[in-house]
Amino acid sequence: MEKFSTEYFRKLASDLKFSLTDEEIEALKKDFEAVEAQVHLFEQVDTEGVEPMIWPFETPTVFLREDVENETLDQKEALANADDVRMGHVHVPKVVK
Amino acid sequence: MAFEQTVSVQESLRRIHDLQPELNAAVTVIDDAPETGIPVILKDNISTKGIRTTASSKILDNYVPVYDATIVTKLKEAGFTPVAKASMDELGMGGTNRNAATGPVHNAWDHDRISGGSSGGSAVLAARQAAPLAIGSDTGDSVRKPASYNGVIGVKPTYGRISRYGIIPYASSLDHVGYFTTTVRDAAAALEILAGRDDHDMTSSLEPVGHYEAELDPSLEGKTIAVFDTVADAVQDPVIRQAFADLVKKMEAAGAKIVHVSMPEQLMNLIAPVYKTIANSEAAANHSNLDGIRFGVRKPGESVEDVMTASRTAGFSSYVRARFVIGSYSLFEENQDRLFRKAQKIRRLISDAYAQMFDGVDAVICPAAPTVAPLLEESSDVRFGQDEFVEEHMQLANFTGYPSMVLPMGRENGLPFAVEIAAKPFAEQMMFDVAAGMEEILEETSHE
Amino acid sequence: MSKYKTTIGIEIHCELKTGTKMFSGAPVKFGETANTCTSVVDLAMPGTLPSVNKEAVRLAIKACTGLHCDIDPLVKFDRKNYYYSDLPKGFQITQQFHPIGRDGYVEIETEEGSKRIRIERIHMEEDTAKQFHRETGTYIDFNRAGVPLVEIVSRPDMHSAEEAAAYVDTLRQILLYLNVSDVKMEEGSMRCDVNISLSADDSLGTKTEIKNLNSIANVQKAVAAEIERQSRILDEGGRVEQATRRYDESQKTTVLMRKKEGAVDYKYFPEPNIFPIQLDPVWIRDIQDSMEELPAARRARFMKDYGLGEYDAQVLVADPAMADYYEEAAKAAKDAKKTANWVIGDLSAALNRDNRTFANAGVAPEHLAQLVNLVADGTISGKQAKTVFEDMLSSGKEPAKIVEEKGMKQVTDEGAILALVTEVLDANPKSIEDYKAGKDRAIGFLVGQVMKKSRGTANPKRTNELIREELAKR
Repeated sequence: MEKFSTEYFRKLASDLKFSLTDEEIEALKKDFEAVEAQVHLFEQVDTEGVEPMIWPFETPTVFLREDVENETLDQKEALANADDVRMGHVHVPKVVK
Repeated sequence: MAFEQTVSVQESLRRIHDLQPELNAAVTVIDDAPETGIPVILKDNISTKGIRTTASSKILDNYVPVYDATIVTKLKEAGFTPVAKASMDELGMGGTNRNAATGPVHNAWDHDRISGGSSGGSAVLAARQAAPLAIGSDTGDSVRKPASYNGVIGVKPTYGRISRYGIIPYASSLDHVGYFTTTVRDAAAALEILAGRDDHDMTSSLEPVGHYEAELDPSLEGKTIAVFDTVADAVQDPVIRQAFADLVKKMEAAGAKIVHVSMPEQLMNLIAPVYKTIANSEAAANHSNLDGIRFGVRKPGESVEDVMTASRTAGFSSYVRARFVIGSYSLFEENQDRLFRKAQKIRRLISDAYAQMFDGVDAVICPAAPTVAPLLEESSDVRFGQDEFVEEHMQLANFTGYPSMVLPMGRENGLPFAVEIAAKPFAEQMMFDVAAGMEEILEETSHE
Repeated sequence: MSKYKTTIGIEIHCELKTGTKMFSGAPVKFGETANTCTSVVDLAMPGTLPSVNKEAVRLAIKACTGLHCDIDPLVKFDRKNYYYSDLPKGFQITQQFHPIGRDGYVEIETEEGSKRIRIERIHMEEDTAKQFHRETGTYIDFNRAGVPLVEIVSRPDMHSAEEAAAYVDTLRQILLYLNVSDVKMEEGSMRCDVNISLSADDSLGTKTEIKNLNSIANVQKAVAAEIERQSRILDEGGRVEQATRRYDESQKTTVLMRKKEGAVDYKYFPEPNIFPIQLDPVWIRDIQDSMEELPAARRARFMKDYGLGEYDAQVLVADPAMADYYEEAAKAAKDAKKTANWVIGDLSAALNRDNRTFANAGVAPEHLAQLVNLVADGTISGKQAKTVFEDMLSSGKEPAKIVEEKGMKQVTDEGAILALVTEVLDANPKSIEDYKAGKDRAIGFLVGQVMKKSRGTANPKRTNELIREELAKR
């Protein structure tokens, strides 16, 4: 599959569990020109020996939660927002895999 | 005392309803709110038990949380009563508040202009005094930009100062709970209520919460205030430039020691692409739970994969889906080193340079948004790529987690603009003190 | 078939025995009504955040220690991103880049002797929801979503079905002893994924994965079957296809579940909602110092302190409840070896027959010790002891009491036995003749007669001796 082809974006979207119209894909193709440009821009920045900054503050913490039960939902609350509930389970059409 | 002269809940509700046709700021008005208490407006990414919470996204149009965000519990315990859920850019992704499921939010002072986003609804309702306190969230200046555009105070405290538990996320390493008030005193008091360690949020801080309001000290005497030249010099609007320069002079006259700081332009120009890369990627991952299966609007399909796909396609706007695609692409194993991880490394370079500006300095100031609110038809959200750093400079405080707030500085043809004040991590007292000092100066100025 | 080298690696997932979930305070319980053990966090409701369970970390530390892993005292988590109906967040929080344990091993015993199987890594993660499929569709129960897991990844050091089974068995025993997990394969608290490849040379062949193995016996059978299957393909000049397979017990072969698609990109990146957690080295040491004795150490101790042979030690230690019972009994017993025989033999058989467990044996270990001592003292014979034992099982009474009530006390009084011997000899002149003629068997008959007269209470050894003495006089 050709990189950044229409098929490429269709698959990418499908893997993210949504679809895109042809127009949306065309717009994305333009966006990806900017993505590629950005890769070049980033490459010009010397980050030799620089660690990724994952959190704003990096001092390790020590807190661990005690293993005590709390904030358990009852079945009604747990399922209150589910569209299709059967026999106390969330029901979905058959899983393909 | 803070929040003393405030509207009643009923009055607040009336104002919100009255303003709705003009501003389109509310998604849900809580008409059956208890009549007692101080009204507070909540951005619609804040989970409220039993009250619809949509994050201005179609996929959550019918979602009713079964739990309250920690800050909602804290607000209620402090005597506040939520009166409305405010419109936002969908899932926090946007800076104009045009990307809301319920349509664009209008600027509080000019219907033809944007409110700014993503906390647009909260900003405009605060500006029009529908409530003395409105809560938002700030990931890439999304409290402070709309505050600037609408002439209200917008506060983003230190990362981890306020618990994020119950806030529908955007980008977890950049998200902050923030809020709007009309006075610095109220802003200081609000932080006392909202701040504090929450064991539900493992990024929330154990630092003790200060008595920000009681200890508020507006004296600028002896304080070292750094002017962020790189931003100040890049602002083109002459009215804003002048107002800022005047303010700095007056601060000096009030006893502040003024110094000048800057950051390399190469790094400033990297703010926008670094922000977008990290934000898009974290957001794409964060919102993988929005699939219509356990909650939210479910669309039908033959298989569960089809259900997920149909729900997410109908539920997310085009703009959001595009950003997820870009975000996901940056996370592919083959791309991470060049995109996501590279952006994180550059984040460190930028943050180190920013931190250096605070050496020996009490606060760093500069104009907030470089212009007044743009016209609706002339604004658009950049999906990706570069943007002028003068527009995005407030994201520096999101990268670093440093506390930052904006204070209305003046009006241009009736349209507000503001000054930004930033301080060191957990030095919110200093930030409020300096802001209070500036607030006094500006009040005097407006009476001249 | 042996012209191929088999390479086997095993990944094991164990559910940790905590009270609550890995990242939330909802309870970890089995067999509960669907969706009654969840929190907003487990359901991945918008806005929820993970909170790390201290007990899960403690149990993971125990597992790492028991499996000789180096422990990383800085706990970091990552996201593994994919979409599936049993994965509420659309990502799993795991430890991809910084597993809590690395470079460990277990020692296994096979027919060829001891061998060390290396463990590459141990990390913490969370379990998925449970689903079952019907005609209408799939039903999802989130009770299991978020249960703490450790994943244990071996290096591909195993080369036979026997080694694979021994690895799983040894590892399982260690985790069971450490009270880290219930490790019940049939219930799913321990799951094995076995990767096998065959090759005619030193390169690695194509590997297949076998999942859903529900017993150690099936691990061995499945691996053997898969080796055979792959060998036949290679013999015929074919290529083995990458796939995930399961073991079919009735067909005794592995069956295709699904072909392996190209490598899936999980887009691993560090979890932004959990700051790194620095574990206190004192806490880690305390956990390690107060850990349960490991099976290998217990076996060694049984052999040393109780003089048991390797086989007996192995059998006892394989079941911690049996080993605990034995130790209680051995403390009070005069003969540790005989006690082991009773526990491994008669008691085990009786528990099996009566559907009981060692934790609930019906015979207290102290009482079993008493029984052993009664025989050691010569109060009753070994044969009598068996009868007393059955009575102990049904009545729950102490052996000494039973012996008294039934008047089973062995007669050891010389005079009494001598009297019986004299009686029997007088009554059986033919036997005396047979004995004098060289028929040694006559002794047995005469002893039997004395036993009969004494209703089994005469001490057989002494009886035998006295008969010989008297015969010599006659």
